[in-house]
Amino acid sequence: MASHNVARPATIVPRTEQERIEEEREIRQYRELEDLIKAKIAERQYTVEVLELTSKLLKKNPECYTIWNVRRRLLIYGLFSKPSDSSLLSTESQNTSLTGIPTTSSEKLSSSSSISSEVSRTTPQNPAPQSHGKNGTTLDIIKADLDFLFPLMLKYPKCYWLWNYRVWLLQEGNKRLEADVARELWMRELGLVGKMLVKDSRNFHGWGYRRTVVSELESSKLNGRSMVESEFEYTTKMIHGDKGLSNFSAWHRRSKLIPRLLDERNADAATRRKFLDDEFDLIISAMYTDSYPYAQSAWFYYQFLMTTLTDYVGHATITPNFKPVDRSEYVIRQLAILKDMLDGAEDCKWIYNALIEYTMALCQIEGRGPDSDEKQDCEAWLAELRKLDPLRSGRWDDLEESLRK
Amino acid sequence: MALVSGPGRAGSSVLPDELQLAIQAHVKYIQSLDTRRDELEYWLTEHLRLNGLYWGLTALHLLNRPSALPRQETIDFVLSCQAENGGFGAAPGHDAHLLSTVSGVQILGMVDGFEELEKRGKVVKVGGGEYRGKEAVGRYLAGLQNRETGTFTGDEWGEEDTRFLYAGLNALSLLGLLELVDVDLAVDYIVSCANFDGGYGVSPGAESHSGQIFACLAALSIAGRIDTVDKDKLGQWLSERQVDAGGLNGRPEKMEDVCYSWWVASSLTMIGRLHWIDGAKLSAFILKCQDPEGGGFADRPGDMVDVFHTCFGIAGLSLLDFEGLEEVDAVYCMPKKVLERILGPRYGEND
Ligand SMILES: [Zn+2]
Repeated sequence: MASHNVARPATIVPRTEQERIEEEREIRQYRELEDLIKAKIAERQYTVEVLELTSKLLKKNPECYTIWNVRRRLLIYGLFSKPSDSSLLSTESQNTSLTGIPTTSSEKLSSSSSISSEVSRTTPQNPAPQSHGKNGTTLDIIKADLDFLFPLMLKYPKCYWLWNYRVWLLQEGNKRLEADVARELWMRELGLVGKMLVKDSRNFHGWGYRRTVVSELESSKLNGRSMVESEFEYTTKMIHGDKGLSNFSAWHRRSKLIPRLLDERNADAATRRKFLDDEFDLIISAMYTDSYPYAQSAWFYYQFLMTTLTDYVGHATITPNFKPVDRSEYVIRQLAILKDMLDGAEDCKWIYNALIEYTMALCQIEGRGPDSDEKQDCEAWLAELRKLDPLRSGRWDDLEESLRK
Repeated sequence: MALVSGPGRAGSSVLPDELQLAIQAHVKYIQSLDTRRDELEYWLTEHLRLNGLYWGLTALHLLNRPSALPRQETIDFVLSCQAENGGFGAAPGHDAHLLSTVSGVQILGMVDGFEELEKRGKVVKVGGGEYRGKEAVGRYLAGLQNRETGTFTGDEWGEEDTRFLYAGLNALSLLGLLELVDVDLAVDYIVSCANFDGGYGVSPGAESHSGQIFACLAALSIAGRIDTVDKDKLGQWLSERQVDAGGLNGRPEKMEDVCYSWWVASSLTMIGRLHWIDGAKLSAFILKCQDPEGGGFADRPGDMVDVFHTCFGIAGLSLLDFEGLEEVDAVYCMPKKVLERILGPRYGEND
């Protein structure tokens, strides 16, 4: 989408006549290729040859979503359904609309599978036994297509259509291949996305893709079972890695895994309490040893842990059996830790912000208003926030107002 | 409308203090975009043509130059992008997609072109019924809602994303056809995407991201359910997106960017917390991203300009009440005036 991080040289050199002619030639080639593909598809030539034409175009322009769709139709109506690599589509039900967008989602949900079963039913020269037709050619095609995508994904890691097509391809595998075979493909994906996240540990698509891959691998249709333990491990590894403390994506994923992790471990009250203690230790020692308490992402994780105490309705995911007395004990302990943390980090706005927020939360847990010491402290911390963070003075105004209440 | 970058370059620090908005240059820049067919990039960006027209036209409307692109040609082009199933593709001959369909509807809305859609739009036959005009588009959009979860897919191939949910509600509400979908279920879905930090992601469990937060808040606004949002918590997260340079980023510890500046600032507006950031500094940042001579805005000072950032740069300034601009609506990213015409004069009263 549009251009990001593209610096422009200070002077713009106009194209030479030769460059202009060259660009004109490239445009002509590109447009002729696109027209050729569309013409072949209009004639329903769902062949390997046309597939290769789409590869050629998509390598030039992976954003051209219509050609990705052409590729999907090539596979669905042509190549998937055939037992051999013969390049002519035999029969296809004439009433299958190629673009047929269904009107309701219930139709939509079933549309692709019904199309595929229809095609296989109406493909007479499919004498091969299920296992061959199912896992033979189709598997080869899917594998080849995944391989085709890989270098493009490295080159264009933020191209939405690439991720989108890849997931579609693998889901076609779920429908068309035996579960164990499809499962193997997804396992490869887990390795691949791991590599991509090593390259760019904050890639939004990468983390989203990882969630998709894992939930497929966990699904019963692929004979999966929970991967919550290994995924939790993975986040531990990521936050201990390079710039891990500021890896918001990893912290986020961790926060989402914890409730399931504890449930699946059948954790009792004491184990849960210990777990919370360990997570607090992890984040606080990381703040101390790594980049000191300035990494914003770490503070969001700290906030997550605190919400299990202060804002526990719907968030009581770690220690659901805590009584108010436990919650206030924990908050008091954290307030002491935060005050210690200020020592040597007097310019860290996150600490002041947390101190005010959790002092007020403590009052709420204990069902009382702030005492005069707490009031004074909050006012002093707020004054620091105003000094350190003038950009958000409107927020501090509102905070001041709420402290007065 | 081309998305070709450049040729202009956003001003760098040499810009004078009295930061001016180069209105004439921006108008000219947008007008020039469709004349660049001799550049390869023009053809490589065809998949965004209809979006590009929406971005350019919105910018022109906000600059008070709504007629700077010829109305009839605009309508003709939009209608030429309509596919047989009622949805719009990015350009003639492209498959329909939700994102180009919402752009098509928004453009027709801005140029008061719904009547032409009624007269000249595709007639679509589905399930024994025959639909035309707005209804044909509405049926296409409604068909993309997942009736079990409430969210939307982008097209027939099944990818789901909260951006699509927003785009669906946006277009359907402009067409006056929200009743074709299950709005309550869509709201439940968004609520299930909320994270502990108050933000929203692409789907339940996904991390908070400014673009996604914008989409979810805007969808909730259209559904009249902004009450489901934890405004203080989300407001904190959003306000922390402003960096010292004045611009806003999309996620913690990322670079500031004009487009994120719009998504974050409009999100803050929707929850009544725009005053939680420094508006003057944000305006100054956005202005530094413009090319005062060649026109257009870039993501950051010194980078190539494009029509996408031009739209969101100007929309951002309008949100901050920059003098001389039409008022923008935070939910639709369209002029308020236009929305009052389409949705009625009472629109926006209970914001
Ligand atoms: Zn941007």
